[in-house]
Amino acid sequence: MITRHAMLLVFSPMLVTTTATAGHKIISNNVVDKIYHPYVLPLEQEFEWRFMSRQNDDGNSLVQRLAYGRSINERVAVEVNLVGDRDQKDDFGLVSYELAARWMITEQGKYFADWGALFEIEKEVQRDAWEFTSGILVEKEFGRTSITGNYLVVYKFGNVVDNSFHSEFRMQYRYRFIPEIQPALELYTAEDFVGLGPSFMGIHRFDGQKQIKWEMGFIAGLNGDSKDHTLRASVEYEF
Amino acid sequence: MHKYKSPLTLLILLHSAAALALPEMTITIRDHLFYPAEVIVPAGKKVKLIFINQDDTPEEIDSFELNREKVIFGNAQANVFIGPLEEGQYTFFGEYHPASAVGKVIAVSPETFDNAH
Repeated sequence: MITRHAMLLVFSPMLVTTTATAGHKIISNNVVDKIYHPYVLPLEQEFEWRFMSRQNDDGNSLVQRLAYGRSINERVAVEVNLVGDRDQKDDFGLVSYELAARWMITEQGKYFADWGALFEIEKEVQRDAWEFTSGILVEKEFGRTSITGNYLVVYKFGNVVDNSFHSEFRMQYRYRFIPEIQPALELYTAEDFVGLGPSFMGIHRFDGQKQIKWEMGFIAGLNGDSKDHTLRASVEYEF
Repeated sequence: MHKYKSPLTLLILLHSAAALALPEMTITIRDHLFYPAEVIVPAGKKVKLIFINQDDTPEEIDSFELNREKVIFGNAQANVFIGPLEEGQYTFFGEYHPASAVGKVIAVSPETFDNAH
């Protein structure tokens, strides 16, 4: 029973992703990113640093993000991101900023699965190029393990880019071993990318709501390129 | 006319069915302590824990074993849905008062639970 439900939960969005992206050929350089959980805690603030380094036949791309986020009520959290990227001259600098909101739609554990939504608007600093992302977040717990899925639809628009849609699907299967070490397997798909690899995350609590969370993953591209792998990491301080 | 006019209605009802008629346990937070500090729940079933916070300050229920975090505001109540759990003991604590606000969920077989209640 559980297995059948898990398979449905995992593969349904993947099929939708494949269908929705057929016919588009937009290059997604940074498909590997954070996998969002559909939960919001009130009275919580956080600083986060994210790092993604992708190496493939086109070279090495490096993206770093700095974010500040806070919940604004029991169900909604907002986050401001500064995004840095390394350009073709190997100079690293601020390229865009982003405003994001996460909405916890259902109470954790109340229904068969937990549901949330994500909305992000990002603008390049130098150019009139925008990206609006909306997505569904879902998580299902099976004892000490859980599956998290993110199905995202991204709309790029602006005067200097071709207006276009694409979609992404991200999935994480996590085992809650101990708070400090929680191994996981992650899957990322987009129109021209399929990546799979191990990750781990952990949490260390200090005092009250103060805690540090970390994540690290190594995702190998499975889409036929001779070399395509991404190292991702993040550190989050909640208070 | 059929009662369920659309598959969506049926889906929502099926989705909600799991949350209906769950076993409920009430835990009161007073002076940063849990009353009772131990609750017995049936294994293999979802359970609704109702936390009633009688203190003026909020408390955050945290349990890695139960995979739950929930803020209970002062002079308010909130629900925490847990399980289905395997038989065993699962600790939880209050993040703001971890030294005093400590509790435990004990999951027992449904037969043992029925006999105890």
